[in-house]
Amino acid sequence: MTAADGLLTVSDVRHAYDGRPVLQGVDLTLNPGEIYALLGANGAGKTTLIRTLCGRLKPDAGTVRLNGQDPARVPSARAVLGLVPQEIALYPHLTVSENLATFASLAQVPRAAVAEAVQRAMSLTRILDRAHVPVRHLSGGYQRRTNIAAAIVHQPRLLILDEPTVGVDIDARAALDSVIRGLRDLGVAILMTTHDLDQAGGLADRVGFLQSGRMVLEGAPATLLASAFGERMELVVQLSEAPNPEAAERLGQEGLAPVEQRADLWARLDSDGYESAGLLHTRLQAIGLRPREIRVRAPSLHHLFSQVTDGTVAG
Amino acid sequence: MIRLQMTLAMIKVMALELWRDRAALVMTFLLPPLVFLIFSSVFAGATGEDIQPKLGVADLAGNEVSGRVMGGLLASAEIRAERVTPASVEAVRAGVKSGRFDAGLVIRSDPAGAGRPFLIIADPGRAVAAPLAQARVQQVLARVAPDAALQRSVRDLAPALGDLTPAQSQRLDATAAALRDRPPSGLDAGLFEREDLKDARKGGAVIAYYAGGVMILFALFSAMQGALGLMDERRSGVADRLLAGVAGMGPVVDGKFAFLVGQALVQAVAIFATAQLVYSVPVVQHLGLWLPTTLAAAVCSAGLALGLVSVCRTREQAQMLSTFVILVLAAIGGSMVPRFLMPAWLQTVGWFTPHAWVIDAYQGILWRDAGLSQVYRAWGVLFAIGGAGLVLAQTLARRSRQ
Repeated sequence: MTAADGLLTVSDVRHAYDGRPVLQGVDLTLNPGEIYALLGANGAGKTTLIRTLCGRLKPDAGTVRLNGQDPARVPSARAVLGLVPQEIALYPHLTVSENLATFASLAQVPRAAVAEAVQRAMSLTRILDRAHVPVRHLSGGYQRRTNIAAAIVHQPRLLILDEPTVGVDIDARAALDSVIRGLRDLGVAILMTTHDLDQAGGLADRVGFLQSGRMVLEGAPATLLASAFGERMELVVQLSEAPNPEAAERLGQEGLAPVEQRADLWARLDSDGYESAGLLHTRLQAIGLRPREIRVRAPSLHHLFSQVTDGTVAG
Repeated sequence: MIRLQMTLAMIKVMALELWRDRAALVMTFLLPPLVFLIFSSVFAGATGEDIQPKLGVADLAGNEVSGRVMGGLLASAEIRAERVTPASVEAVRAGVKSGRFDAGLVIRSDPAGAGRPFLIIADPGRAVAAPLAQARVQQVLARVAPDAALQRSVRDLAPALGDLTPAQSQRLDATAAALRDRPPSGLDAGLFEREDLKDARKGGAVIAYYAGGVMILFALFSAMQGALGLMDERRSGVADRLLAGVAGMGPVVDGKFAFLVGQALVQAVAIFATAQLVYSVPVVQHLGLWLPTTLAAAVCSAGLALGLVSVCRTREQAQMLSTFVILVLAAIGGSMVPRFLMPAWLQTVGWFTPHAWVIDAYQGILWRDAGLSQVYRAWGVLFAIGGAGLVLAQTLARRSRQ
């Protein structure tokens, strides 16, 4: 492995199931101390890519190097990897510490070092106070943190998180984000898949949009947003009721398009932001529409994601 | 060494999961001896001589001999006879029909007289009760009214021999009186002589049979439940987590196998300890052969369960397959009904189940004092099944990385 190589390097990886291409030349590099959010709609190829990174799937073409070695051919290469599945992948009748000790042993942590490894993992994920509670009695947030603790108990250098915040409330998500940042600060490389674009935008150093097996867009969130939208802001109009076909046509003429498949919510990108909002309000009233609210907001990864899935943005 | 540590970690997981699931704990260790006690209680008394059918009796003859027969039946320990009132055929029929009696007996006329003095009323649903009741009545008749039997025999012979002379009639009456006063010690009329096997232990064969039958039934049942954990690990993502690691699922399968073998051994101890304590089955006296037989049965059940569960894709599939396999193998293999009651072809098919081998080995050791030469084949079959199941489970666990 050269200094230029990342901890994880994926080069032109291709794979097909029964002749149907799922990965079509994916490149990806991940460095220590970096959080990378892999985004994409269902069926984009995220799960296949993760299986490839874990060495569970040998790609039809291309290379995967984990710490300089092929994880599918060299099992020991996977020692640097920790996987946090989307499900709570723990033994429910066992306590937190018993679970972590089990996964430490199964990850080949020497017996004498297991207790210390368990303490460290609980400390990093801030679950020490639940050490002796059976997992099935934990709240959703604590279960998620224990799920992460079980993946870092053998001190991996690369942590893969598959939808780490599914089904957790806002407080629990904030706690999870804090844990993930803490691990990043310790030099752990983190690759996460998520449908939570707000979390990805707030947490990731880089994001990658996977669509139909291709990495169509990749980079730092701020850079990508600036590149896609420039100085433009988004005007979001909420109507008091769904417009009739004639009014909808007039809205379209104003450059507005329905948002999130809601008939009462329309939006457009605009360079003049707040100034345009006032003018737009006047024009909508003139054509007999009564906007309940017009908001001005900075474009987010949601907009970028929509443009990627619409095909407006191409890599 | 590290592989052993991983296997031990998995054994600990399974032990803790079982220990903290009280319902599973009861199912695993309390239910087997309980079911064994129930089966052995039922079938130990079902070998023929110990069955005491409930008999409703009506005496329509009302003479001295029928009174003796009625008294004999009521006093008999071999049958639970009850006088039916009012004494009528209809009342006896009604008693049998309602299930109050297993069979009915009507003494229609003088038992020493001509014709057929006894009417047995049977329910086809309990057909076995009628011949049993008839045999008991014959026993009682021979005991309390042997003179009547003699007089009936002479009357039957009269057409062939001609009328008796006064002297012959006198000697017949005297013999009948002597029989009445001092009935013969044998219970039957002297047509049969019986020889029991020397040193045979009464009832022990069935107990040993069912100890083995219940042991393999529950060992396989519990092993299937434990092996279903593989499905839970797939569903919960634990398998994904482990497959992303260095060791994969191999140590998990090893750990489960070792735990399930240990679990079956503990179950066997519970069942056979009950057999020894309650029925004096000589388990400790045959420990040398009992132990390897038990180990072979435990290995067989653990390997078979893991192999079967491994070929399933979902927990639902595995649950259905395990229920199907447990019930069918137990039924064919003799865990539910003694194999000697089965038709010959089914007994032959039974040898394709581990149950038949386990039962045969245990019965051989504990009942027939069989030696190594008579059980080694069973051990071979059981270890082979268990080994094949384990290899299959390990192979599929390796493939599950894909």
